[in-house]
Amino acid sequence: MKTKLKMFYQHYVRFPSYILFHPFDGYEEFKRYNQGKFRVAIVFILIYAYFQIFSYQNLGFLINNNNPLMLNSLQEIFSVFLLVFLFTVGNWSVTTLMEGKGSYREIFMVTGYSLFPLLFIGFPAVVLSNFLTLEEMALYQLSMFIAYFCAAWMLFMGILNIHQYGLFKTILAFIATFVSMSVMMFVGLLFFDLIQQIISFISSIYEEINLRY
Amino acid sequence: MRQKLTLLIVLMITPLLMAASSYNYSYWGEVIHSAPGMTFATYVDAEQLGVSLASPEDLVVYQDDIFMVDSGTHMLYVIDETFQLKDAKSSFNFTQSYLDAEDINQINPLTLNTPSGVDVTDSGIFIADTGNYRIVKLNHDFEVIDIFDYIEDDTFLAPRESATEGNEDKIYFEPKKITVDVTDRMYVIAKNVYEGILEINYDGSFNRYTGVNPIKLTPFEIFSRSLMTEEQLAQLQLFLPTEYTNASIDDRNFIYATSKVSENNAENPIQLINPKGVDVIKRNGYFPPMGDVQYIEGSNSYVIEGPSTLVDIASTKDGIYTVLDQKRSRLFTYDSEGNLLYIDGDEGKQVDKFSEGVAIGYFKDDLLVLDRKTKTIIVYRLTEFGAYVNEAIHYHNEGMFEEAAQVWKKVVKMNSNYEIAYNGIGKLLLRQEKFKEAMEYFKLGHDQYYYSKAYKEYRNAILKDNFGIIMGSIVFVSGTFIGLKIRSTYKKGGSILYED
Repeated sequence: MKTKLKMFYQHYVRFPSYILFHPFDGYEEFKRYNQGKFRVAIVFILIYAYFQIFSYQNLGFLINNNNPLMLNSLQEIFSVFLLVFLFTVGNWSVTTLMEGKGSYREIFMVTGYSLFPLLFIGFPAVVLSNFLTLEEMALYQLSMFIAYFCAAWMLFMGILNIHQYGLFKTILAFIATFVSMSVMMFVGLLFFDLIQQIISFISSIYEEINLRY
Repeated sequence: MRQKLTLLIVLMITPLLMAASSYNYSYWGEVIHSAPGMTFATYVDAEQLGVSLASPEDLVVYQDDIFMVDSGTHMLYVIDETFQLKDAKSSFNFTQSYLDAEDINQINPLTLNTPSGVDVTDSGIFIADTGNYRIVKLNHDFEVIDIFDYIEDDTFLAPRESATEGNEDKIYFEPKKITVDVTDRMYVIAKNVYEGILEINYDGSFNRYTGVNPIKLTPFEIFSRSLMTEEQLAQLQLFLPTEYTNASIDDRNFIYATSKVSENNAENPIQLINPKGVDVIKRNGYFPPMGDVQYIEGSNSYVIEGPSTLVDIASTKDGIYTVLDQKRSRLFTYDSEGNLLYIDGDEGKQVDKFSEGVAIGYFKDDLLVLDRKTKTIIVYRLTEFGAYVNEAIHYHNEGMFEEAAQVWKKVVKMNSNYEIAYNGIGKLLLRQEKFKEAMEYFKLGHDQYYYSKAYKEYRNAILKDNFGIIMGSIVFVSGTFIGLKIRSTYKKGGSILYED
């Protein structure tokens, strides 16, 4: 039991924070010595989806502008999954063309791991926001800024390391990833729109025939 | 028999219950039920006045009289406080001093042509005589003191000048609405003028445009316009600034103005223009004052779409003002902070409703609505609820929070959906240092600023009372932790002084 707990601590807290502060060494171990675990990434993504719901509901009254009656858990979860899916697929398709060394599995794991600071700082910050006045809210804003900054940092360094890119190539890869994400969004919307039109076309034909005979 | 009677009663009562129920907007923008703030009291139509009206355009209240102009009959009507006709004038004699000053011997009295605006002050009656392209100033004996028909500005043609070469872009001065301040300075809204409200001095010389809304282009628009050719730019839709629909001056010389909603000012159709020409209206309510908050966009044949079309504004005591939405025949009343107090009015042909409101005016505490289509003045009177709301705001403005809170409590009893009343009660509790209760009330009223203040006091009081326990427990916990660490280090045979 004790070793299990220790392993849990090692995988879920120690190693991600090691990556955060030693990105090159950390991602070296992550990639070469298989220290990065797929299940950890999945758990982080799941917790992040929960965090979105948690912060929607439990953010302090003073900065919470969400209507509690409008909370849609499924929508929150889906939007997190969609974002992760779009990013990983976009990045994989771009980096494959740009001779990146990382596999889809690794891109996915980097994405999951980079959510670590958001969870580690985000949950306490949301709880803290309940005990702050309007003037002190800057503290919450600052901690959330740090969290997002660290997450971006981990993601950037992760992509840089697993594909074994230089700095500029990584930036280029990110820009290309965002372009490919928007292309995917566009194609998706187009697809759904056309499907909708086909469905309405078929249903109107059915209606016509039904009325006639 | 009994069933039939019940059915009969139900049939008789149902239409009464089906009258549109009052509503308001919650913090989240939902339409919620509310008690009506004003309700129909009486009406005055042409038959009662003993005149024939064609198309009444504007109405203004001066002391105990109501002045009204009609663009169909080209006449000025004066109605007294018992809603009896006092005067109906179609022609006006010139004063001798005006004839002397202008050095003319005109004997024919002056007549109006489609007047559409009127304002009355102590120094006289001002009529926007649209069809004759001029403003007519009368004294209180209905004699012409002055006529203003020439605006010395590049926008306008001189009177009787035709648009020839070199001034094709110029337009005639067609005043629509007028309001006059205590120094007889006229603020005029003219047709097809987008520069703002014209400010004309007492002697008729043009001073400036006031309340001008600069157009803001987004960086993307600036970029895309810089790439376009002249021809493309010409094909673009013109970006016109606010087009004002009405203006009304209050006793502090601030101009309440309504304007048409366009894309670039969708959220500020109501302005309060200070003497410097700056919009100073407060938008501290849940939504900026703009009439209806929720509306359907996109054309359809079932409901009226689009934002409210505000055509007139009237202010009363304590900075409370009402705007008239012509599109849906509704009256929105706001307080000086921009809180939406109550929504009244109803579209219809019955005497208690109006279908094409053109002007409103406060007559003592009553609100007069002029309906162009039915040619009627409908008088709305405050309900008990509305009177309480106004009273509470009055006390609040005077700084009498205790009295205000007492009235707000009555308001909440009548309408527990009324969120701003909770803030009024909360403010008193905050002053009485009942911070926890105050927090609850501010939470109900969604006032984050005052909630924060109450919470700060509440939290600091708790911290102060329990300082010993909190500090002690922090010291205890950290001390235990360090102690255990030292103990385990020694047990392992290590040293705390040197790192091995």
